Amino acid sequence: MKKDIILQMHKVNKTFDKVQALSNVDFELKHNEILGLLGGNGAGKTTLMNTLYGLYKMDSGKVVMEDKPITILSPKDAIRQGIGMVHQHFLQINNYTVLENIILGSKVARPLSSNYKDETITIKKLCERFGLEINLSSRVEELPMGTRQKVEILKALYRGAKILILDEPTTNLIPQEVDSLFQTLKIMVTEGLSIVFITHKLREVLSICDRITVLREGKNVVSLTRKDASDEMLVRAMVGEGMDLNKSIMFTDRGTRTGTGTNSDVIKLEGLNKINKDMIQELTDVSLAIKSGEIFGVAGVAGNGQRELAEVVMGIQPVSSGALHFNSEEITSLSTKERIARGFVYIPEDRLADGFLNKASIAHNLILGYHHLPPYSKKGIISWKHVKESSKAMISEYQIKTTGPDEIGGNLSGGNIQRVMIARAFSQPSKLMVAHNPTRGLDIPSMDFVYKKMLEHAATGASTLLLSEDLDELLLISDRIAVMYRGKIVGILPKDKFEKYEIGRLMSGYDLESK
Amino acid sequence: MTQIKKFFPYLIAVLAAFLILGIALWVLKFNPLKAYQTLLFTSFRTPNGFIQTLLKWIPLTLVALAFTVPLSSGKFNIGAEGQMLVGAIGAAAVGILGRDLPPALLLPLVILAGMLAGAFWGLIAAWLLYQFNINEILSTVLLNFISFALIDFVATGPWRDPAAGHPTTVPIGEGGFLPMLVKNPPLHSGLIIAIVVAVAIYFFTSKTSAGYELVVTGANPRASKVHGIDIRKMFLFSMVIGAAAAGLAGAIEVSGVHHRLIEGLHSNFPTLGLIIGLMARGKNQVVPFVAFFIAILEVGGSAMQRTIMVPVQIVLIMEALILIFILLADIIKRRQK
Repeated sequence: MKKDIILQMHKVNKTFDKVQALSNVDFELKHNEILGLLGGNGAGKTTLMNTLYGLYKMDSGKVVMEDKPITILSPKDAIRQGIGMVHQHFLQINNYTVLENIILGSKVARPLSSNYKDETITIKKLCERFGLEINLSSRVEELPMGTRQKVEILKALYRGAKILILDEPTTNLIPQEVDSLFQTLKIMVTEGLSIVFITHKLREVLSICDRITVLREGKNVVSLTRKDASDEMLVRAMVGEGMDLNKSIMFTDRGTRTGTGTNSDVIKLEGLNKINKDMIQELTDVSLAIKSGEIFGVAGVAGNGQRELAEVVMGIQPVSSGALHFNSEEITSLSTKERIARGFVYIPEDRLADGFLNKASIAHNLILGYHHLPPYSKKGIISWKHVKESSKAMISEYQIKTTGPDEIGGNLSGGNIQRVMIARAFSQPSKLMVAHNPTRGLDIPSMDFVYKKMLEHAATGASTLLLSEDLDELLLISDRIAVMYRGKIVGILPKDKFEKYEIGRLMSGYDLESK
Repeated sequence: MTQIKKFFPYLIAVLAAFLILGIALWVLKFNPLKAYQTLLFTSFRTPNGFIQTLLKWIPLTLVALAFTVPLSSGKFNIGAEGQMLVGAIGAAAVGILGRDLPPALLLPLVILAGMLAGAFWGLIAAWLLYQFNINEILSTVLLNFISFALIDFVATGPWRDPAAGHPTTVPIGEGGFLPMLVKNPPLHSGLIIAIVVAVAIYFFTSKTSAGYELVVTGANPRASKVHGIDIRKMFLFSMVIGAAAAGLAGAIEVSGVHHRLIEGLHSNFPTLGLIIGLMARGKNQVVPFVAFFIAILEVGGSAMQRTIMVPVQIVLIMEALILIFILLADIIKRRQK
C-alpha cells in the first residue's frame, strides 16, 4: 500500500514574523490522483505548497518523494524533482507567443538561432497526449484566461512535471472554462500525473477530487476520500466549531430574499463613456439603475472595466460623456468628497494601494473619508477621544486583530486590513455602497459576516453596487447581475434568470464576438 | 514606556556619534571630555550663552518646519534657503519703503511681507507641481539659485549702504524692529512668534480635519484621493505653508537681528533645517526639540573653537554623524521586525 504514495511531507513548520503559518502539517499525495487541498483564506494551503515548490524555506519538516528524502531549496530544485506549480497569477510575458512562453528558461536545441522546430514537435506531442488545444503561435495577451492557464500547465508538463500543483485554478475562469480544465485534469491523471488542487470552494473539490485534505489555521484537520466526504463535514472542517452554520448566509441560502427594494431608482447611470489618457476606451455606453434596497451585482473576468465603473460612480475618475443621477440630482461633476457627503461609501478592490494607510494608525484608517463629518469632526476639529472610542468598538465588532487604535496599519495582515476596510464602510449610515471584491482575503466566517452586513444594509433601503470576481458570491446575494465585457454591459439578469453557464457565456464575450 | 522604547535607539545613535567623534578628537590630540563639556554646557553656563542658543533656535525651528510641513503631505521642499532669502528681501523692502510709518503699522507689515514673499517663492514651485506635475525637489533647488542673484541685486542696488564693506542695504525704519524681550544680552520677540508658529502647526496637523487630510495624503496619496481628499490641493497648500515659515525666518532675521538686509544672513540655517527635519523623522511636533539640541551644538561649537581651538567644523561632522546613525537605527529597527 505504501507504494502508491508518491510524495509525503512530514511535520512541516513555517512562521512569518511571529505568525505561525504552518504547524506540524503532514501531507500525502498518491500516484494518479487529484488531491483537493481545501481551506479558507489564511489556512496555509498555498504556504504549504510554496514550501514544497521551494518558494519558501520551511523552518522544520521533511519531504519524501518515492521513499527517498529530498531537499528543495528553490523552484529549480522542485522542477528537477518533477514538481510543477501553476500560480494564481500567471508568470507570462504578454507579447511573447505561447511557444516562447513555454520554452522560456529551459534549454533549447539550437541556442543560437530562433529555430524551435524540435521544441515545437515536443510541445505538440504533449498537447495531443493531454488533449490541450492551443495554437502555439498566438501571443498570450490575446488569449482568454482559461487558455492562458493551459499555457502554464503546458509549461509545467514541458519541464517534466510528474506532480502538478494548481493554486486556486478556477479563480478567474468562467464556468465553461472550469469544466474544460476539469476534463484536462482527468486526462492528466490517467496519463500518470498526480495533481494537487488548492481551493476554498467545496463544490469543486467534491466534483473533481479523489481525496481531500483540509487545513485550518495552519494545521491538519482531516484527510479523507471523496466517497467518505459530505458537504456538511467539509464545511465544519473548514470553519471550525466556532461558527453557527444554521445562522449563516452562505450555507443556508439566506441570501435568497424576495420583496426587497422599492421601485424608485437611487442611482442612475446614463450612457457613460470613459476614454483614458492613452485614448483607450475603458467604458462604453454603460447604463444602469439601482433601486433602493437592491444589491446590484456586476460579474466579469477581472479587468473588463469593473474598476473603472466603480471609480466613475465614486467620482474618482471623470467620465468622458454620459450622466449620473443620484435621487434625481445630477452628480456627474461632483467630487468624491461631495458624493461621500451624500452617503456614498466605497470598498476598493486594491486594498493596499487604494484603501489603506500603511503608515498611519488604525484609528486614522477607520475614519478616512469621514474624518471631516460628525461625529468625528466638529467645525474642522477632530475629536480624537470620540475617534478612539468608536475605533475600539469597531475593532471588537469586526474582530480586527490589533493591539489597539494606535497601532500602525502596516503591522496588520491582509485579512485584517480587509476587515478595517469593511468596518470603515459599514460604520457609516450610507445610501449607496460600491463594493469591489469585498470578501477577498477573508476566512469563511468573516465572509459570512460581510454578507450578513450587506443584507442588513440593503434592508435599511440602501443600494449596493457589488462588483465581484467570485460568481458564487454574486449568485448568493445579488438581486440582479449585470455582466461586463471589455467595458460594456453585455447583459443584465434578474434573480429568477440567474444561471451560471449563461453568465459565463456573457463573461466570455461570446455574444459580441459572434456578431 | 513605549515612548521610551521608541526613543531608545535614537539615544544610542546620538551616543554612538559622540563616541566616534570623541575617538577622532583624541587621535587629533584634543581632550574629548573637555571638548564635549564646552560643546554641551556653553548654552547653560551664562545668560549670554542661553540667549545665543535661543537666537539660533528661532530660525532653525522655522526653516526645519519649512521642510517638515510639506513632508507631511509627502512633498520635499528643499528650497527653504531661497524662501528665507526672498522673505528677508520682502521684509527689508517694506521696512525701507515704509520707514516713516509708526511701529504699530510697520512691524506687522514687515513680518507679513516676509511671510508672503517666502510663501510666494514656494508657490512658484507648488504651482508648477500642481499644474504641470514638475518635481518639487528640482524646482525648489533651482529657485534657490535665483534667490542668490536676487539678494545680490537688492543688496548692491539703489538701497545699498555705501558705508558697508559687504553687500548690505540701508537699515529699515525703526518702527519695523522687533521689540526686545531682554535688553542685554539682546533677545528679540521673534522667540514668541516662533513658539506660536510651532504650536499652531502642531495643533493644525494633529487636531484639525484639514491637518488630518495633510497627514493621510503623505501616508498614502492614492487612498486619500479615493476617499475624497483633494491631494493636489494638499501638496500646494503644504508647500506654501512651509515656504511661509521660511519667509518668516528671513523676516525675523531682518527685523529682529540685523535690522537690514545682509547678504549671507541665512548663514547655514537652511542646511541645518534639513538635518533637523530628517532627525525629527519628519514629525512637526519633534522639530522644536531637535532644533534646540542643534542650537546647543552650534553655540557650543563656536565656544569650543574659541577656548580649546577645536575647529568649528567638528560640529558639522558631529551633526552629520548623528543623522547617519539615526537613519541607520531606523534601518536596523525595520530589519529586526
